[in-house]
Amino acid sequence: MEILQVVLLVVLGITSLLLTFLILLHKGRGGGLSDMFGGGMSSNLGSSGVAERNLNRITVILGLVWFATIVALGLITKFQSGV
Amino acid sequence: MFSAVARIFRTPDLRRKIGFTLGIIALYRLGSFIPAPFVDFGNVQACLAQNQGTSGLYELVNLFSGGALLQLSIFALGIMPYITASIIVQLLRVVIPHFETLHKEGQAGQGKLTQYTRYLTIFLGVLQSTTLITVARSGALFGTNSGGECSQLLTNDAWYAILLMVITMTAGTGLIMWMGELITERGVGNGMSLLIFTSISATFPASLWAIWQSRGVETFLLVLAVGLLIVGLVVFVEQSQRRIPVQYAKRMVGRRTYGGNNTYIPIKVNMAGVVPVIFASSLLYLPALIAQFNQPAAGQEPAAWVTWVTNYLTKGDHPLYMLLYFLLIVGFTYFYVAITFNPEEVADNMKKYGGFIPGIRAGRPTAEYLDYVLTRVTLPGSIYLGLIALIPLIALALVGANQNFPFGGASILIIVGVGLETVKQIDSQLQQRHYEGLLR
Repeated sequence: MEILQVVLLVVLGITSLLLTFLILLHKGRGGGLSDMFGGGMSSNLGSSGVAERNLNRITVILGLVWFATIVALGLITKFQSGV
Repeated sequence: MFSAVARIFRTPDLRRKIGFTLGIIALYRLGSFIPAPFVDFGNVQACLAQNQGTSGLYELVNLFSGGALLQLSIFALGIMPYITASIIVQLLRVVIPHFETLHKEGQAGQGKLTQYTRYLTIFLGVLQSTTLITVARSGALFGTNSGGECSQLLTNDAWYAILLMVITMTAGTGLIMWMGELITERGVGNGMSLLIFTSISATFPASLWAIWQSRGVETFLLVLAVGLLIVGLVVFVEQSQRRIPVQYAKRMVGRRTYGGNNTYIPIKVNMAGVVPVIFASSLLYLPALIAQFNQPAAGQEPAAWVTWVTNYLTKGDHPLYMLLYFLLIVGFTYFYVAITFNPEEVADNMKKYGGFIPGIRAGRPTAEYLDYVLTRVTLPGSIYLGLIALIPLIALALVGANQNFPFGGASILIIVGVGLETVKQIDSQLQQRHYEGLLR
C-alpha cells in the first residue's frame, strides 16, 4: 500500500505539471472579461487545426489520468484511516 | 415559447452544443466535491456543518467557487483566478502602453492579451492555492476561535504534501479555465460566465432551505416573492438602453454602394455589469483582512484601530459600511465605464466609415456629445448597481439571512446577466433555421 501511494503521488505531481503546461499551450479562446457580463456578440469560430485537435486529445487523456489518480489517492487515505 | 423549446432539441446542431455545455458543467460540479489529496474529508465536513451560516472572510470567494473553496476540493479556487487575471490585464491597459497597442491591434493583439491573461491566471492560481493551504494548515480557515476538528484539516503537513497540494490545485484552476474555453468554443454562451453562473446557482437551494428552516414558511414565501420581483426589475434595467441614432453616408466603391443606412449606438444604462460590485467588495475586504492578521494573542487587548475596524467594517449591517460600499460602487461604475467605452475611439471609427449623428459634427463634437450622454445615463445605472448590491445587507438586517442572500448583490446581477446572454445566443442560433425564436 505504501509503495502504491508513493507511486501515485509521483504520478500526480508529474501529471499536474504537465496538465498545466499543456493547457497553457492551447490557444486561448476565452475572450476575457469584455464579453463576459453582457458584452457584444462576438463569437468567431476559428477552425482548430490538426495540431490543436491532437493537443485536445492529449489534454483530455492526461486530465482523466490526473482525475483517476486523485480519486485513488483519496480512497487509499480513506481505507487507511478506516482500518 | 414551448414549441421553440421543443425545436431546440430537434435541431441537431444546437442539441449537440447544449449537451456539450451541460456535460462540462456536470464535470465542473463533480470536481468541486472531490477533495484534494491529504485533506481530511471527515474533519472538513464536520467543520463546515459547525460553521454553517457564519460569514467569514472568504464568503464572496467561496460563493464564486460554489462552496468548493471551504471544502478544499481540487477545484477549490474555481474561476476566481481567471476573473482576477482578466480584470488586472484590463486595468493594466491604462498603465502599460504596450497592452493598449495590443488591444487596438485587433484579432492578433487580442489573442496575445488573452494569452497573457492565461499565464497570469496560472500564476495567481499558485499564489492563491499557497495562501489557502497555508491558512488551512494553521487552522484559521474557519475563523480563529474554532478549535477541535477545524485545526486538523490536513492529514499530512510535510513539505512535499503541501507542494503537491499546491500543484494539484493549480492544475485544477488551469483545467477549469480550459473547460470554460471549450464551452465558449463548442457550446453555447460564454464559458467563463456560465461556470460562475453554475457555482452561484448551486448555492441557491441550500441558502433558501436555511431560510425555510430558521424562519418558517411565511418568510420563505415572502423572500421568494421579493426575489422574483427583483429579478424582473434587474432584467428591465439590464435591457434598457439609450439609442443614439447614427447615419452612414452612401459611398460608391466601384460598382457597389456601401452604407446609406441608419443604425444606432446602444448606450446601456448599466454598461459596467457586475465588475464594480466585485471591485468594491474585494476592496472592502482589505481592512478586515489586515485587522485579522493583527489580532493579538488571547488575553491581550487589541489595538484601538483593530477594534474600530472589526466594529464598523467587517459586519455588513452597519450604516457606515453600507454607505462606504454604496459610494465605492458608484465610483467604480464610472471608472469602469470610462475604461471600457472610449467616446473618442467610437467617434474616430464613425468618422472613418462616414457615419455621423444627425445634428452633430463628426470628430471632436461627436466625442463630446457621446461623453455627455454616457455620463448622464450612467448616473442612474450606478445608483441602481449600488442599491442592488445593498439588498443582501438589508436582508441581513431584516430577515437575518446570511450574506449570500440569494436574491441580491453580485449573485443576482451575474445570474440575470449570464442568463440573458445565453438565451440570446441560443435564440440567434435558432433563428438561423427558423424565424421564430425564444424571445419575443
